[in-house]
Amino acid sequence: MPGASADNLPSESESKSIQVQMRGIVKRFGENLALNEVDFTVRAGEIHALLGENGAGKSTLMHILSGLLTSDSGEITLRGETASLVSPAAARKAGVAMVHQHFTLVPAFTVAENLALDIPASRLGIYSSFRAARPSFDRAEKLGWHLPASTPVSELPVGVQQRIEIIKALSTDAKVLIFDEPTAVLSGEEIKELFSVFRQLREEGCAVILIAHKLSEILAVADTVTVLRRGQGVASAPVSDVTAQTLAQWMVGENTLTSLSEKRFPDTRSRESSSEKSPALSVENVSLSGDRGETVLKSLSFAVSSSEIYGIGGVDGNGQTELAELLVGLRKTTKGSLLWKNGTFTPGHSPKIGYIPQDRRRVGLATSMSIEDNLLFDAVDEPGFRWKGLLKRKSLRQLAQVLIKKFDIRVQSSRLTTASLSGGNQQKIVVARVFRTQPELIVAMNPTRGLDIGATRFVHEQLLEARLRGAAIVLISTDLDELSFLSDKTAILSGGALTSYRSEDTSSTDLGLLLGGSREKASLRP
Amino acid sequence: MIALLAVTFLLLGVSPRVGLSALWVGAFGDADGHLYPLSETLVKTTPLLLTGLGVVVAWRGGMFSVGAEGQLIVGATAGAAVGLWGSHLPGFLITLLVLSAGAGAGAAWGYLAGWLRVRRNVQEVISTIMLNYIALSLLGALVEGPLQEKTHRVSQSNPLPNSALLPHLFPRTWTNEIQTRLHSGILIAVFAAFVVMIYLFYTAGGFKLRVVGQNPEAARAARYEVDALRLRAMLFSGALCGLAGATELLGITGRLYKDFSPGWGYTAIPVALLGGLHPLGTLLSALFFGALTAGTGHLSRFSNVSSVLVNVIQAVAVLAFVGIRAFRNRQSGGE
Repeated sequence: MPGASADNLPSESESKSIQVQMRGIVKRFGENLALNEVDFTVRAGEIHALLGENGAGKSTLMHILSGLLTSDSGEITLRGETASLVSPAAARKAGVAMVHQHFTLVPAFTVAENLALDIPASRLGIYSSFRAARPSFDRAEKLGWHLPASTPVSELPVGVQQRIEIIKALSTDAKVLIFDEPTAVLSGEEIKELFSVFRQLREEGCAVILIAHKLSEILAVADTVTVLRRGQGVASAPVSDVTAQTLAQWMVGENTLTSLSEKRFPDTRSRESSSEKSPALSVENVSLSGDRGETVLKSLSFAVSSSEIYGIGGVDGNGQTELAELLVGLRKTTKGSLLWKNGTFTPGHSPKIGYIPQDRRRVGLATSMSIEDNLLFDAVDEPGFRWKGLLKRKSLRQLAQVLIKKFDIRVQSSRLTTASLSGGNQQKIVVARVFRTQPELIVAMNPTRGLDIGATRFVHEQLLEARLRGAAIVLISTDLDELSFLSDKTAILSGGALTSYRSEDTSSTDLGLLLGGSREKASLRP
Repeated sequence: MIALLAVTFLLLGVSPRVGLSALWVGAFGDADGHLYPLSETLVKTTPLLLTGLGVVVAWRGGMFSVGAEGQLIVGATAGAAVGLWGSHLPGFLITLLVLSAGAGAGAAWGYLAGWLRVRRNVQEVISTIMLNYIALSLLGALVEGPLQEKTHRVSQSNPLPNSALLPHLFPRTWTNEIQTRLHSGILIAVFAAFVVMIYLFYTAGGFKLRVVGQNPEAARAARYEVDALRLRAMLFSGALCGLAGATELLGITGRLYKDFSPGWGYTAIPVALLGGLHPLGTLLSALFFGALTAGTGHLSRFSNVSSVLVNVIQAVAVLAFVGIRAFRNRQSGGE
């Protein structure tokens, strides 16, 4: 592997046997070279993080190792023997199992039934999923998990679903376990537990491979890290030898972290005056009922000025989606009122609205339509792009090309579907669509979830730019660091009620209590 | 495809050479330049194309309507009722009235299913099937009741005035002096294909309709009027299918009767799907189905293949076509 401290690794840890060795792996998708001569080595009893931006080739490399894809050239050896991993079944037989980001469980089946799926049924007589899944439950107990055998999987929280997925992977005596961004769906406490499971698996001699892009997590749990950038191996090193800055630099190819933090402080300091401005958006005693008639928001009040980012944190499912949809005009209040600059709030006209919805795949994009079409959702309504009821296809196409360039959306062709893009580029489409119209009110919900450093920075810059331009911005995010980094004012939405806090003065314990909805216990200064 | 058809003929005990040539002659005419079979192909293409386009519009909007059959029937029924009521009017006026009544009634029938979906969350797949049965029963009741012919013996209506019927297209000299059944409805259908294409791909309404069809959640987040767009899709779809019924009435049958449609509206679904839910693709696939229907009709008349087995031949041809396309897609698509 070219670069950094890759070469001094083998001599250090000769004692640990090499589990996986991938050499000169090449994979092409059409004209796109996804992996270019990548080497990758994992030892028994180590937690190995595979780091890279979205689209760097991490998932592709691991799909090759787990038999989902086959490489165009290159060689894979497992425990010193050449392995041909032509299918997931072959890989599992060879002791490689993958825990996917999107779970492969059957939602309507019980836990026992899901665990029994992979186990061949005995040939005689009555089938019992409980009996078939017995060894898996024993394995779970060993990890300290008590799984509810007869509960349908769909009724369990994601954290528990992931445990089932892990047990499924372990049930085939896997020696190499691949986790594809396992923390993306988990809360703070669940992440900690997952990490302790990683350590336990390491003690048992497994090789744990962790596809990740959160630097803090890698530094916290991994032993070794390998960095990919645009389909090439950049470096591989023990985690003890690297810092967040080095990793970020390897990943993006420039000194990102410092430039990011340099950017943030001038912004933070210039904020103090904003509280004196007259509010642009006023939310007054607003209550809202959900789809099933339950109360979702309880007489909420807050105000956002122009050139201000109002950050709302909290755990998903506490009214965030409903609040966002209320602010962009997709829902109606049951009580209370919304005002825009002391006039009526007629979303779309006054103010002009930009909405970055929570889930880009499900809500933000029509993934089976072309990149071009997805960029034009609002443009088709504008008189400038219409001629006697017909669309000006040529100007629309030009607009799409301009947006692709301006927002640096990396595409092979604007006619491809957005499903073919990485998460970062998908989000850029949503962002491009929103910021093109120069909206006066922007509602952004978890705008950087699942994005790598480069794309995250891009979205943050766009938000800050819009703020500078005079937009009122409501940022709803579960990432408290992001909130305190971007926002002028911050508040936590929990159980449908809003509590404001100052990120500088609030201890993490208090924040935790706020998130959990216990406002009284948190010693907050108003 | 030809090989598969040949094997099927062998299995049915027919010489492949005879069978295939009968199919071809039935669809396109023989070496002597008889264009009559071609006219029959186009005759069958007309209702298939119009209903196929109806399916395209609804399905592109994410409304999985199987109601083309019912909409076609109410279109024909309303057309006949209006035409008979106004039979004293000048011919061209009756033609116009019948066509608009057909389209209007079909649109209303489609709107019903759309309304049930949007306001009452009744799945359109179910409601359109039910509406098909209602339309069929309604037709049966009318041709044995208020719309029955003078003598009250047969389950059919009085004929529409000749002056109202659609003009024939091929001059007799093209077809050895045989009068073809080909009528100007095919022009209406082809025109409709272009209208649908312009609507879907060159208007904001059509663009939004496609977004709604691909991802209604995204359309909602983009603050499109999802319900209104769905209703409009069902209106437009129903109008096309109703128009199919009216043109069939004015071009071929000239009167309403109990088994008015041999299932055009159901064949419309494979027609639209084979056409890739694209208006021009549907034009080609309607031609393909039209040729197949005309060809197999000829086959059952002039060879010893029974009319039931003719359906087998049709199905084999369609499956072969779909299979070939899937195979090509896999080869060129890669991933």
